[in-house]
Amino acid sequence: MTLLDVDDITVRYGRLTALRGVTITIAEGEILFVTGPNGAGKSTLLNAIAGVVPTATGTITLDGTRVTGAAPEEIARRGFSLVPEGRNVFGGLTVEENLRVGTGMRADRKKITDDLESVYQDFPMLAERRHTTAGMLSGGQQQMLVIGRALMAAPRLMAIDEPSLGLAPKIIDQVYEILMRLRSQRKLTLLIVEQSSARAMMTGGRMILIRGGRIVLEGDAADMVKDERLKQAYFGFGDH
Amino acid sequence: MSRPPSVIRQTIVTPIILIVVLLAMAALSYQFGSRAFNRTAIEMFINIMVVVGLYAFVGNSGLLSFGHISFMCLGAYMTAWLTIPPVMKSITLKGLPAWLLHTQLPMWVATPISGVFAALFALIVGRIIMRLSGIAASIATFGLLGVVNNVYSNWDSVTGGQGSIVGIPPTMNVWIGWLGAAVAIVTAYLYSISRSGLALRAARDEEVAARASGVDIVRERLVAFVVSAFIIGLAGAFYAHFLSIVNPGSFYLRTTFITLSMLVVGGMYSLSGAVAGVVAISVLIELFRDLEKGVSVGGLTVGLPNGAQEIAIGIITIVILIYLPSGLTRNREFSWRNWPLQRRRLVPPVQTALKETN
Amino acid sequence: MTAVLQIVFDALSLGSLYALGALGIAAVFGVMRLVNFAHGDFIAFCVFAMLLPSVDATAIVFAGQLPFYLLIPLLLLVGAGLSMLSEVIVFRRFRNANPATMMIASFALGFVIRHLLLLLYSSRPKSITLWPSLGLPVEFLGAHIPMLQVVTIIITLVVLAVLVLFLKHTRYGLEMRAAAENFTMARMLGVRANGVILLAFAISGMLAAAIGLILATNSGTADIGMGANVMLIAFIATVIGGLGSVPGAVAAGFLIGAASVVFQATLPHDARVFRDAFVYGAVIVVLLVRPQGLFAPKSAKQRV
Repeated sequence: MTLLDVDDITVRYGRLTALRGVTITIAEGEILFVTGPNGAGKSTLLNAIAGVVPTATGTITLDGTRVTGAAPEEIARRGFSLVPEGRNVFGGLTVEENLRVGTGMRADRKKITDDLESVYQDFPMLAERRHTTAGMLSGGQQQMLVIGRALMAAPRLMAIDEPSLGLAPKIIDQVYEILMRLRSQRKLTLLIVEQSSARAMMTGGRMILIRGGRIVLEGDAADMVKDERLKQAYFGFGDH
Repeated sequence: MSRPPSVIRQTIVTPIILIVVLLAMAALSYQFGSRAFNRTAIEMFINIMVVVGLYAFVGNSGLLSFGHISFMCLGAYMTAWLTIPPVMKSITLKGLPAWLLHTQLPMWVATPISGVFAALFALIVGRIIMRLSGIAASIATFGLLGVVNNVYSNWDSVTGGQGSIVGIPPTMNVWIGWLGAAVAIVTAYLYSISRSGLALRAARDEEVAARASGVDIVRERLVAFVVSAFIIGLAGAFYAHFLSIVNPGSFYLRTTFITLSMLVVGGMYSLSGAVAGVVAISVLIELFRDLEKGVSVGGLTVGLPNGAQEIAIGIITIVILIYLPSGLTRNREFSWRNWPLQRRRLVPPVQTALKETN
Repeated sequence: MTAVLQIVFDALSLGSLYALGALGIAAVFGVMRLVNFAHGDFIAFCVFAMLLPSVDATAIVFAGQLPFYLLIPLLLLVGAGLSMLSEVIVFRRFRNANPATMMIASFALGFVIRHLLLLLYSSRPKSITLWPSLGLPVEFLGAHIPMLQVVTIIITLVVLAVLVLFLKHTRYGLEMRAAAENFTMARMLGVRANGVILLAFAISGMLAAAIGLILATNSGTADIGMGANVMLIAFIATVIGGLGSVPGAVAAGFLIGAASVVFQATLPHDARVFRDAFVYGAVIVVLLVRPQGLFAPKSAKQRV
């Protein structure tokens, strides 16, 4: 079943076109990696789905409902949770308060405490620091926190913008390990922006390559890594 | 920066058009207007001076100032001190220093001195305030307004306190008013095409890039602040001669609001906008004054209640801000090409006052 | 000793007013980045809501006759209602406008409210007696402290406590704090923008009503300009406190209250009338040393 259907969307910032005619679909339970050089429009794609940047043309359908032009909070309430780039923790709130922000909209209020416990189990370092203000956490811990926070919103589709940016390789492994476990446990669908195509291949799943605001390649992550065109697409930008 | 002559040639039309149109208004008012109408016209010219002065700072720097009316206050009182006959001064303003007490200067000498006095004051306080930016700067200018109002309202022996000082020679007519507006427009224009004005506008639109290109924002802001204080100081002097009395209440929140509204309604980033805003609001004020006096409809006099004028101006300002956020002129300038409004290649500044808090 | 005690109470009660005012501004600024210049006129509106419209000097008390347990909630409702109404009618249309535009819009709204009051009630201050018993002094460690000062301080403390409880321990409080830090991120977590902003306006309006009540009881008059004077200082307090910081706004409110009272007590007699000038001057100095305010939240630091 298709969970997300992005049909031919275009996004403009003033005179600059950041996305042109992008179409993607994600089935329930799937993983889709989005890769591409810096400034290709990867983050714009996620922000457009989240309703943070307006689309000029095209439609976005989430779980059978058209959400094009809807407010970010309404899209979040339909089960989409975005972990944006740059670890936007609420620095003045405690770890636990951060985790609870996204639970306000949930109808299943009784499950919230259970979910909180399970997030703490997945990320023990968050449990230790549950009453620390989030601004005091290290980069890796903040990344854990934003992922945990997104999970607390009980999403069906979770999008993560560059989960590995600025993290030590060991921590990246840890983050992915947790994501994959959550995926199987909760039937979570994932949309991940990832600069490292090697990481995408290791994890498995589908992958699209965006360049200059367009999708230039699409396929299985494992196959695409071998594709000469992927290297070409990065040519001059370097593979990270 | 390209060759200066070309900048002038491209933009000189704007002040010329503005001044000529205002001259035509002055002539029409002189020829056909009643005495009351002429007074309205003079008031409009003085407001043009204030708003154009405000533009010189706000328009070029992108910082909102709530303190500019204090310069008007300074200019007006200086003119009062310089032009009231010594006999009257020695009764009401005993605290003035002897040399000032015994001086009486003609308007054409006292007015520039008033402008320079305001400019000097701006130079001193500006050195402090201009180091701030964003909302902190706006609030500091509010503080400036508060300080000046507080001092002028309470320093009884020098300013006459809350009461009015009378006895300023009423040497004001439409032509002098027009001349004042023209001087203000030319001064603001010359500043905006000067090196400092260009640098400041660059910094307004792209602060980081301008800093990287070596623009000393604090210095350029200070220059703009002083220039605008000079213009508004002149306006204060004119206002003193216009009413022939001064009192601190005329230079406080109401005037601050009305002049800011005029600037915003016209378009706060263009000189034409500053002038157009004053003309538009002045027409409205006049219209509502008439309506408040009453219109006879079939023998009955129907009048709006007093205060309807201010309410209408407030509402109109809000409506214009909603539907025309860049003002009546859309921040463009009058010119020959693409008459009447030339598109200035200006990116509308998206964030100004709050850049750093977001 | 008694003189010092009197100064302390003066400072605390004046500081309370400024703190309540600063809070009302900070609440809205936090979620909307709007410096609401109409806040002072909200205060005046709440005071005049107790009177029947009339241009006579002798006011006809209307809601003011109600017993306090009805009057206070009613007035809080009036404040919240006016504030929310202005958000729905005016400020909602400025969501994407720059802060300068919003400031002028709020200035314009305040101007409209002020002149509406002038139209209905004329500019003559009206006498209004709410609770005369509050004017009596109470004896405290040998000093005679006006009852009203004590009540003002207690009310402020209660308001602060309730607000802290609300912000820290309720879902809506949490959402407001999150939205104040990062509005977009909060929305992406399902926090409804309009809801949070409306709530902030409601709180701000209730605070305006509280100030209105205190001012009216204190001065025994209803005057159109009465809100504006408090607000000028309250704005400054929000900036000094670090825009967007709620505890900062409160602390700065008390600080300025204390500074005013100390200036009043220590300045030479001739200079006392210039007390406000000294206060404003002190503010500019503070801003110079710490442009982001004394208690700026981390999120408000300049980013380049």
